[in-house]
Amino acid sequence: MAKPKLKPEIKTESLVSAAPKWNVVVLNDPINYQAYVVVAFMSVLRIGAPEAKKLMQAIHAEGRATVWTGDRERAEMLALELQQWHLNSLLEKDG
Amino acid sequence: MAELRLSMTQEARTVLTDLLRLIAPAAARVSVNRANVPGNDEEIAGFWVETLSAQASEEARLLAAAFAGAKGEPAVIILKNEGQAHAFLRALSAVRLALRDLVFADITDAQLESNDELDDESLPTEKRHALACYVCFGLLQQSLISQLCPEALD
Repeated sequence: MAKPKLKPEIKTESLVSAAPKWNVVVLNDPINYQAYVVVAFMSVLRIGAPEAKKLMQAIHAEGRATVWTGDRERAEMLALELQQWHLNSLLEKDG
Repeated sequence: MAELRLSMTQEARTVLTDLLRLIAPAAARVSVNRANVPGNDEEIAGFWVETLSAQASEEARLLAAAFAGAKGEPAVIILKNEGQAHAFLRALSAVRLALRDLVFADITDAQLESNDELDDESLPTEKRHALACYVCFGLLQQSLISQLCPEALD
């Protein structure tokens, strides 16, 4: 006789809340040329020219843009690296 | 990557070198002062200030050495790799920021962007001179980017 298939009842609950995300924001600046900003993004964020240009254009149009979102430690490093390129970067908690 | 070259007349090199001697020490200070250093964590803030200060000093040395070493007519600055080129771009940016903050503080961004209207007798000689250098440093950046990453200029 076949045993009845029992479906185990599993209760799960989230015990660990997700760590908050941080945004790296870059503000528009009237001194650095647009091409310079594109090169800085390509170098620091490791992205291609088209994506870097999109970010640069968003900053130019809106005055600011979030260029990266993720964990705090990496966000701090990226914000510092962008400041080493003399871009106006800052950190903001997401949400 | 092939080496990158920046050419200028000896006269331009002399003028830019003289200005760099004046502005480079201040450029390092301005770089740190302008930075948005996180204020809520002393350890991180200290690390940032230390990193930015060290970099600013290094940039000042790099610029001074590059301009001093540019001999001949035209004077040619040679950058051997991408790392040097990036550092040179950043150094030029630091100098332009310092000029903006220290010399052109009373000039609006819009005026500075369309510098045609500034190129007249209304400005004191020193400011016109500094403005010409500010534009030249920008042209050197553009020239370097056109060799390093032409797609950034498209």
